[in-house]
Amino acid sequence: MFTDLLHRLRAIFRRNAVESELNEELRFHFSHEVEKYIRHGATREEALRRARLAFGGHEQVKEDCREARGTGFVETSLQDLRYALRQLAGNPGFAVVIVLTLALSIGANSAIFSVISSVLLKSLPYPQPEKIVRLFLTNSVYPQFPLNPFDFRDYRARSKSFDSMAIYTRGDMQLSGGSSEPVRLYGFSITSGFFRVLGLQPQLGREFDRNAELPHNGQQVILSDRLWRARFGADPAIVGKKITLNAQPFTVIGVMPPGTEHPGNEYHSLAYGDDVDLWSPFTFDGDPTRRGSHYTEGIARLKDGVTPEQAQSELNAIMAELGREYANDARWRVLIVPLYREVVGSSQRMLLVLLGAVGMVLLIACANAANLLLARAASRQREIAVRLALGASRSRLIRQLLTESLLIAFIGGALGLVMAIGGVKALVTLLPADFPRVHEIHVSAPVFAFTFIVSAATGILFGLIPAIQASRIDPRRGLHEGGRTSTASGGLSQLRNALVVSEVTLACVLLIGAGLMLRSLLNLVHLDPGFREDHVLTATVSLPYPEYKSTEQVEHFYDTLTTNLSSIPGVESAGVGSDLPWTGYDENTSLNIEGKQPGPNDEFHARYHVASRDYFRALGIPLLHGRFITAADKAGAPPVIVINRAMAEKYWGTEDTVGKRVTWDDHPKEGDWFRVVGVVGDVKDKPSSPATEPAFWWSSLQQPFAFLGESLVIRSASDPQTLADAVRNEVHHLDPALAVADVQWMDEIVYGSVATPRFAFVLVGLFAGLAIILAAIGTYGVISYSVTQRTSEFGLRVALGAQRLDVIRLVLTQAAKLVLAGTALGLVFALTLARVLKNLIYNVSPADPLTFASAGLMVIAIAVLACYIPALKATRANPMTALRAE
Amino acid sequence: MLPSNIDLPQGTLDLLILRTLSIGPQHGWAISERVQQVSSDVLRIQQGSLYPALHRLERRGWIKARWGTSDNNRRAKYYELTRTGRKQLEVETDSWQKLTAAVAQILENA
Repeated sequence: MFTDLLHRLRAIFRRNAVESELNEELRFHFSHEVEKYIRHGATREEALRRARLAFGGHEQVKEDCREARGTGFVETSLQDLRYALRQLAGNPGFAVVIVLTLALSIGANSAIFSVISSVLLKSLPYPQPEKIVRLFLTNSVYPQFPLNPFDFRDYRARSKSFDSMAIYTRGDMQLSGGSSEPVRLYGFSITSGFFRVLGLQPQLGREFDRNAELPHNGQQVILSDRLWRARFGADPAIVGKKITLNAQPFTVIGVMPPGTEHPGNEYHSLAYGDDVDLWSPFTFDGDPTRRGSHYTEGIARLKDGVTPEQAQSELNAIMAELGREYANDARWRVLIVPLYREVVGSSQRMLLVLLGAVGMVLLIACANAANLLLARAASRQREIAVRLALGASRSRLIRQLLTESLLIAFIGGALGLVMAIGGVKALVTLLPADFPRVHEIHVSAPVFAFTFIVSAATGILFGLIPAIQASRIDPRRGLHEGGRTSTASGGLSQLRNALVVSEVTLACVLLIGAGLMLRSLLNLVHLDPGFREDHVLTATVSLPYPEYKSTEQVEHFYDTLTTNLSSIPGVESAGVGSDLPWTGYDENTSLNIEGKQPGPNDEFHARYHVASRDYFRALGIPLLHGRFITAADKAGAPPVIVINRAMAEKYWGTEDTVGKRVTWDDHPKEGDWFRVVGVVGDVKDKPSSPATEPAFWWSSLQQPFAFLGESLVIRSASDPQTLADAVRNEVHHLDPALAVADVQWMDEIVYGSVATPRFAFVLVGLFAGLAIILAAIGTYGVISYSVTQRTSEFGLRVALGAQRLDVIRLVLTQAAKLVLAGTALGLVFALTLARVLKNLIYNVSPADPLTFASAGLMVIAIAVLACYIPALKATRANPMTALRAE
Repeated sequence: MLPSNIDLPQGTLDLLILRTLSIGPQHGWAISERVQQVSSDVLRIQQGSLYPALHRLERRGWIKARWGTSDNNRRAKYYELTRTGRKQLEVETDSWQKLTAAVAQILENA
């Protein structure tokens, strides 16, 4: 074993010595052989001839000896590599084209794989993440609905399936104190056990206990590592100290370690990654028997050995008990979704489609590379024939040619990796901010491995067929034809045609995919959102509770603010409301409607909001019936609501809705009824679908409970920056301790809302563009090659009186045959493949005839155009040269 | 003029080389000459198989090579048996004899 290793090592590292020894040994044998024949009476010439005959192929013997030394593979590979490098260097144009093509397509693959690896393949950043599940309610109308906190408390008390359970909801806070300006911090209210569910431990202090959930005990806070360092100088004794949040003292009880990642949320604007600044306790206030309000997100960690299904059926049994105790609970079932699926589920299909698309680009690049190699192999026939004649075996030749293609692929792959590193940065900026795990996307070790494997596979894929083809040469014919570039055999040109057809097919499929996504994106952009986003500035202002304790104080503040904002020059209308469209707000309530009873398995349900008198006008939401909220709808006046069209149609159908009454009280007195005074147009709930759920608005001066954080909406024709400053001034004029947050133009929100479909379209479009260019280059290559070969034929035709146009037509017909075949196949494949896009495209049929027709025509036009240059070249065939050659 | 020679069965070449070298160190040409001579020209080793076989045996550690001078004062590569090579020769001779005896028995009696 040891001698074996030494022997091999010597053979590799002292290669030259070993080779020259072998040469000497063989020469020694040869001369003895010659002497022997001379001794037997042969002439010197005769002896030499016979010795050579007896010797067989000299190179073959040497090759076999190398093989026998057990180092043949490494040695010959090194030799092949040197040879391949010389070949590439000798033909730099060819090398650059093929390497760049491969680099672009391998790079694109690696970039997309980086996204997939970070988003789909990497496990979530928690210990045993597969045990973490999200809890939702579900019924026939709402597939995934938030939990009621009191329901949650009962699940927690009665269930046995979970190691720990928690609910959380968005709870931003304003930090003041010290000399710095007040800032709005990104926060969540969480119950005890939230971090235990995630499997995370505070680096200082502890997490909240059950006591913190009691009303009046909630003035505790856990800080993020980032906030602790940035605002508190990483004070190691921070635990136990008091900080000022929402103008109240909060006791710091813990600091989370860096990299504490938010598990994602469904309601309110989404958060991912470690951008949460602080956590405060979720407190169970209010009447525990009223369970109509759903606004908290459930999360839990399963006990060992408990499956999500078992846990779900346990919770459903509990929910059934609760349904008997509380009317609101009767119509809901519990839904358990593994956290991983909840986080990445929606993006999975899109990412896989992108990987498929970019894979097709790589296949086209492979076909192109194979075509280039086939063309080059034809011009290397003589070299290959000589090597075959000298005793090289076919497999040896194939291996050497494969080494060349692998070398090309690996250079392409290395360059591609560099491109991918840049490309991934560009991808991340293109992705919407709320894309799951977007901050985790970067080029990592699996991406390197992926690129390596893809490069190797690519090299074999495009190198194997040309190598086998080349080695099929008959050495006698190859030598006989001498230095002339010989004509390709019929089989070879058929192979090249097949490659072009498949390139066109793939390009056509990609172009159709991009077309469908473009149409879908245009549909989304042109979908009427239900409001007018132009010239609308939005911002949020949150009021700290201790200074704005009463509803009257809150109402007065916003009322004064909107009045002042309206008087800013250029402002057309200014209003406040509980929320803005498309920012994730989803607060719902059950309600009673005068004179109506819900069905046995149903309840009256709507999303609630608050709006001031000019809120609708500023957002450009149209009034359909009745009136908007006015200044007269204030405390003491008869309570009113404005509803949307969806609510009017769902609960009153064709009846006249204005004047109808609803209440939230199960035993209402006269003053508990709210009268519908107006119906407004539907605002789409989500940018990606036309659906609108029933919703209503209370007057901001008749809030049933105080909305401490409200959104400002200002419609103005004036300059954005001036307006933003003016709004800040007005707020600080009223209360210098308030932070103005989320200053944004409504059209930015609208633009951002289609970021994901835009991302998908931009990428697929980019890939389709790359594909069509590559396919055009491939078609061009094959046609111009065949034109070169048919030069004499064209010359003859011209000599016999063919016109320029006839020759052009001849070439283009040949090209068109290939392109049409490819396009036809492409249309058929696309018809089958487009079905995977079904959930990704909006309001476009996966078999959209317009897209198919225009993509098909575009492919044909571009590919045939690419053949125009070789066609022109064909017309310049010189009749004299052609005739002389014949 | 060329004696009729037969193809060597698989594996016998190694045995012949080892046996030839058991007399003493030899270079490649001498090995092939000796095999031809001793077998009365029936067996001829083509150098196309001789040298790869020598390199293979060397790698296995059954023979080792050193450079020496031949009868007519030329540098030549001499191969000699190692201790494991000697053992291997015994094993292979033994199994060869068993094999040929068995084959002969079948040819005569079957």
